[in-house]
Amino acid sequence: MSALALGWHIMRERLSAGRMLVIWPLLAIFILFSSWGLSDPKANLPAELVIDSAYDVMFASTAFIIFSATMGAVLISFDGISRDRLSGVLEIKLSQPIERSRYARALLIGHWAAIFVPVFLLNLASLIIIWYRLDDLPSFNELLVHTIATGLLLLWYTSLQLLASSWAKDMGSSIAVGLGVWMLFTLLWLVLTTVVAGLMGIGVENLNSSEYIRIEAIMDLFSPNGVYHHLLETPLQDVDRGISSIYPVLAAIMWSIIPMQLFIRRIERMIP
Amino acid sequence: METHLTLTDVSWRHKIRDSTTWKPWAKKDGPGIHSINLEIRSGKILGLIGPNGAGKTTLMRTICGLYDCDGFDKSCSSRRKRIGYMPEQVRWEGRVSVKRALETISLMRDDDVDLDQVIKTVGLSSKSDHFLDDLSQGMRQRLSLACALLGNPKVLVMDEPLNGLDPLAQRAFCNLLKNLANKGVAIVISSHQVADLESLADRIALLHHGQLLIEGTLSNIRKKLDLESDSGIVEMICSVTGIEPDQVTLDLSNDDLLPFKQIGGEEE
Repeated sequence: MSALALGWHIMRERLSAGRMLVIWPLLAIFILFSSWGLSDPKANLPAELVIDSAYDVMFASTAFIIFSATMGAVLISFDGISRDRLSGVLEIKLSQPIERSRYARALLIGHWAAIFVPVFLLNLASLIIIWYRLDDLPSFNELLVHTIATGLLLLWYTSLQLLASSWAKDMGSSIAVGLGVWMLFTLLWLVLTTVVAGLMGIGVENLNSSEYIRIEAIMDLFSPNGVYHHLLETPLQDVDRGISSIYPVLAAIMWSIIPMQLFIRRIERMIP
Repeated sequence: METHLTLTDVSWRHKIRDSTTWKPWAKKDGPGIHSINLEIRSGKILGLIGPNGAGKTTLMRTICGLYDCDGFDKSCSSRRKRIGYMPEQVRWEGRVSVKRALETISLMRDDDVDLDQVIKTVGLSSKSDHFLDDLSQGMRQRLSLACALLGNPKVLVMDEPLNGLDPLAQRAFCNLLKNLANKGVAIVISSHQVADLESLADRIALLHHGQLLIEGTLSNIRKKLDLESDSGIVEMICSVTGIEPDQVTLDLSNDDLLPFKQIGGEEE
């Protein structure tokens, strides 16, 4: 049995879980409503936010994806291992002949797909809203970049949360680690960036200075949300944050490989 | 009689937190099993008995390949293909049907599995569409048994499977095990009560403090230890360790009381 087939089964199980009754409306409100609001030509947006095209709307609405979809990834995956471990089901699963690494990949695929599928479907629905409001659609290339970047972001959060779930001895610890990571990257990263900039002698009174923008771009490489934004900026012509475009790609590769490999190794060595 | 699995000097120590150092990641060897020699034979039921903490579960987990250790004539992955494992008291829960839960486990095996047949064998046909949350403990035990039966295993390893079952279900369970043994399946079953295994097991292995004290048929063990025909686990352990039965208190697990306080030369 391939990891894909087992992952598909896990995805179906997760999609039918009771918590999806909370996650679906949460995602719908954040993704659809943000697309509706940001594509309103009369909307009063902050000065630095200029909405000229369908992709601009999609780019701006990713702030809401970061809030909702990454939280969804945490909520779906926090008990991916810990629940089975506490109930004793993990003993049964790990005693099956499937290779541990294949099982780990199936868990990753299943949990990632359980959050990516709703987000992808809602993103498609938001395209209809944008088209209706702006009479414009993103190009295929822009859509591809947006979808791949969103998929990767959710994969990073899923791997981190599953890793936390495999370490935790109880579900409370698992969700505490997941929420802590989510808060660090979603809410506190800006503070950390400012502190680092201050320590490096870069004035933080002007957040639009080229020095601060560059240090922010570098710090973003160490955060999944930051790398996500770097990737989303790829199709934008007028964005220059002072670092080569190869770094976000390398960071994306590292963010994909390291947590996943850690998780696979963890499952390979796990004692229930 | 075909031997399905041979254990030669199998040892395993759990890693436990080392409280003598401030490092939270520091671990030291804890309790486990030491130098176990056993043969698991086709069509025979081997009963593992011993008090709490004797090492029954640890031994079963090593047999099933959950702990990777030396001393087996078959590799870990090969054992996992041949062995069906039923852990003690699995709390199946969630809004997933019995059949769906079983299907997930069956996807982790390469064998073609007739799920309906397995569900029927364990008597869960009428509950196959019920959610796991709605199952009683007895039904959950049956579901664990169904998982162990997937893929027609050559060896069945069951950790205290009679716990949580009513007397009628216990009898049905024992009948099922006897039928499977008659078909050539080797069965390893644990209990802390001799009475549970008296009518079921062909051979008994008495474990205490991670060591195999004695193994054989129940009558032979009693004869060898010069015990009455109704003697139980306490009498057996007392006979082997030399403790007077009258001195046995709840401190039975106290290391100072028993001669088996050392495993493998290291302090437990």
